[in-house]
Amino acid sequence: MQQDKSTRAIEILAQNISYTYKNDYEESEVKPEPAVRDISLQIESGSYTAILGPNGSGKSTFAKLIDILENADSGELSVFGLNTKDEESFWDIRENCAYIFQNPDNQIVGTIVEEDVAFGPENIGVKLPELRERVNQALEYVGLKAMAKRQAAQLSGGQKQKLAIAGALAMKPKLLIMDESTAMLDPQSRDEFLSIVEKMQKEQGLTVVTITHDMTEATACEKIFVVEKGKIAAEGKPEEIFLDPEKVRRAGLELPEHISLITELAKLQRVKLTKEDLKDKKTCAVRAAEIALDPIKASSKELSKSLKKKPDANDIILSVKGLSYAYEKGAPKILDGIDLDVRRGEILALAGRSGCGKTTLISHLNGLIAPLEGKVEIYPEEGVTISSEVKKDKGLFRKNVGLVFQYPEYQLFEETVYKDIEYGLKKNKTPEDERKELILKAAKSVGLDEEKLQSNPFELSGGQKRRAAIAGVIAMMPKILVLDEPASGLDPRGRREMFSLIKHLKEEGTTVILVSHNMDEVARYADRVCYMEGGKLIKTGTPEEVFGEVNNIPKPLLYDFAYEVRSKIEESLGYKIEFGPVGRTAEEEAKNILSAVAREEAYNA
Amino acid sequence: MLKDISLGKYIDTNSVLHRTDPRVKIVMYIVYLVAIFMIKSPAGLIAAAVVTLAQAAVAKISPKVLWTTILPVLPLALFIFILNLVAYKDGDVLWKWWRITVTAEGLRLGTVMGLRLILIIISTSVLLTLTTTPLKISDALESLFKWLKVFKVPVHEMAMMMSIALRFIPTLIEETDKIMKAQISRGADYDTGSALNRIKGYITVLIPLFVASFKHAEELAVAMDARCYRGGEGRTKLNPLKMTGRDWAAGGILLAGAALILVIEFVIH
Repeated sequence: MQQDKSTRAIEILAQNISYTYKNDYEESEVKPEPAVRDISLQIESGSYTAILGPNGSGKSTFAKLIDILENADSGELSVFGLNTKDEESFWDIRENCAYIFQNPDNQIVGTIVEEDVAFGPENIGVKLPELRERVNQALEYVGLKAMAKRQAAQLSGGQKQKLAIAGALAMKPKLLIMDESTAMLDPQSRDEFLSIVEKMQKEQGLTVVTITHDMTEATACEKIFVVEKGKIAAEGKPEEIFLDPEKVRRAGLELPEHISLITELAKLQRVKLTKEDLKDKKTCAVRAAEIALDPIKASSKELSKSLKKKPDANDIILSVKGLSYAYEKGAPKILDGIDLDVRRGEILALAGRSGCGKTTLISHLNGLIAPLEGKVEIYPEEGVTISSEVKKDKGLFRKNVGLVFQYPEYQLFEETVYKDIEYGLKKNKTPEDERKELILKAAKSVGLDEEKLQSNPFELSGGQKRRAAIAGVIAMMPKILVLDEPASGLDPRGRREMFSLIKHLKEEGTTVILVSHNMDEVARYADRVCYMEGGKLIKTGTPEEVFGEVNNIPKPLLYDFAYEVRSKIEESLGYKIEFGPVGRTAEEEAKNILSAVAREEAYNA
Repeated sequence: MLKDISLGKYIDTNSVLHRTDPRVKIVMYIVYLVAIFMIKSPAGLIAAAVVTLAQAAVAKISPKVLWTTILPVLPLALFIFILNLVAYKDGDVLWKWWRITVTAEGLRLGTVMGLRLILIIISTSVLLTLTTTPLKISDALESLFKWLKVFKVPVHEMAMMMSIALRFIPTLIEETDKIMKAQISRGADYDTGSALNRIKGYITVLIPLFVASFKHAEELAVAMDARCYRGGEGRTKLNPLKMTGRDWAAGGILLAGAALILVIEFVIH
């Protein structure tokens, strides 16, 4: 329906709307800041729109105003042509508007899958047999038909989010709002989820508004609004928004991997990109190849790469030997014959889909779970071996291996940040006079201001809370730090900061093991990657080794795009050239490509 | 650890009992509760045990599940047993040591009291939690107590609250597990030390659990709003409750079972 895009009706029309959260609990002197300030926008019927912005920028609040989950203080907001202030329109708007949230556990009401799908239609009084039909159709559509009678709690994260779409679909909505709905999913589940939504948008003319931190997801949208401090900072098509990298970064966002690569190439080749260049991924690849084949403008100094020092392959700090685990003997194995050596001072990433055994593996690394078969050994210092086979050494395991679980901020409990960091030190009986120094050092390592130490942890922002929780583990000075999805739920800027914190810890001499399902971040920050599937180690090696060969391991988006550009270059040249392994960052890869082309030119001359 | 407990969980084995109208099960559950409480003799106890175990068999509940259901109440049952054993001083003395006297009557009473508790737990699980989804239980309660609406009792809202509470048990158990693991990693120890210290240890678990519960509640409330929840008025049901001949028959058989227990207890004994 490309041709009637220009005549599409307007689904959402906002004119100068503002909203401030009311402070019910405390009689504070400080007036709360408005969450939404003077937003005006329009969204067309049947369109796919992304709202981007850092955490706390007011994008969720704005989305809630659309579904009248909150009421705007001032301004006019109409949805489906109905005024949100009009009491008679209230249910007409809400019944036609479906909302999917980030945490699947907090939106499932029914215990049984089909009961949950029926919850919405039951509320609006859909009668049998239509109700039954809607439930069945919705489950069929998202591929959960076989699970209709299962308990919702037993589904995986990806399945739970599909259940949430089924619940939305059964309402037959005109508008779907997704509030970071893919943030907790692994890449494969995310792609499955998004393809269902895209199908709904195309087949049923659904209007979709997505709030996301995933820039690649945003490039698939027709239009982007960037929200900053409650205001619209920019709006336009994805290619217009991502044309200005500086502005994108200032807004706390980042470039999608493919645009990042073409931008780096253009910078080195002194080319100015136009929005047509960024129109879609394919155009990007063609244009990137053209730019690379322009006469090389970048100096050889610019193309030289910094050499990284590699951790000594023989200096092992932790060793997993023949480790297997099942909940009980005879039950399916969650870990199956894992052998893994971790080198002193490296960042090792454990990658794999949700449920592949990553969390179970890391729980073995500090003795939380005892191996069913095999063992874990650590070598904190030369000549010292601590083995999981020696029961009384459990305490030494905990001392040397610090473990930070996913969303550690949910585990804070003390009245002040200081006391929370102190908890572990008290438990391992560190003398009182030494504690203060360790706490201050840990706070400094994670970049937490000293004045924050006396505040209540629940008053901190999300990112700061997480830092405080991590400080509680590193204050105990573990030689090895294990982090489970340290960046999950953070916005792009928060993610960047988290990884620079991890790099900083590595520089201070800590060995870091991190669990992640974001392959691009794994490739960018890890010295080595270890890919798991179904409780087994599939491959271990440098990112270049793991992602550079043909195998079933999901590739970083940068790799996918780099290969596309490389093959376009070879197509134009008419022969193959030697590019070497894909770079870890877009910048490195741009240098790789240009160096290869430059070498080729020099050879031909 | 905590995940292995079956008490309060629903397990779908698709048995006759699973399909029986939840209202029948609730009414019969109350009947059994009364019947089991009236038992004072070993004969009645055996009869009740046979009947409840037969129900468990009909519900296709494995012995393992049954075991993990009663496991958490065993310490309490044992405590009740011992308390009765030593507190009852009349009758034939079986054993005497220092100031502890065990009489035949005490032994009998302790056994009956202890086993009665276990039977009640089995009965609750088999008739209700293991075989009936929380939503069905709350549907049934809503239907059974709808006459209370006349007195302005918010029956629907209470039923909804109950089903949400039950729905969140697994989520909260998982969270407790996670918090405990994180604290164990930081050197916490829940298994040793004085009782006071152990209780203190659990407080550090309860605080984050509380905070998490509020977050769940807040987000769930918004999600329910977004899904057009507006109380019981005008609400339809995917699986409306309807008594069929089979449900009446099931009710009859269950009632006969309860009668059998009482007959053995009062007539034969």
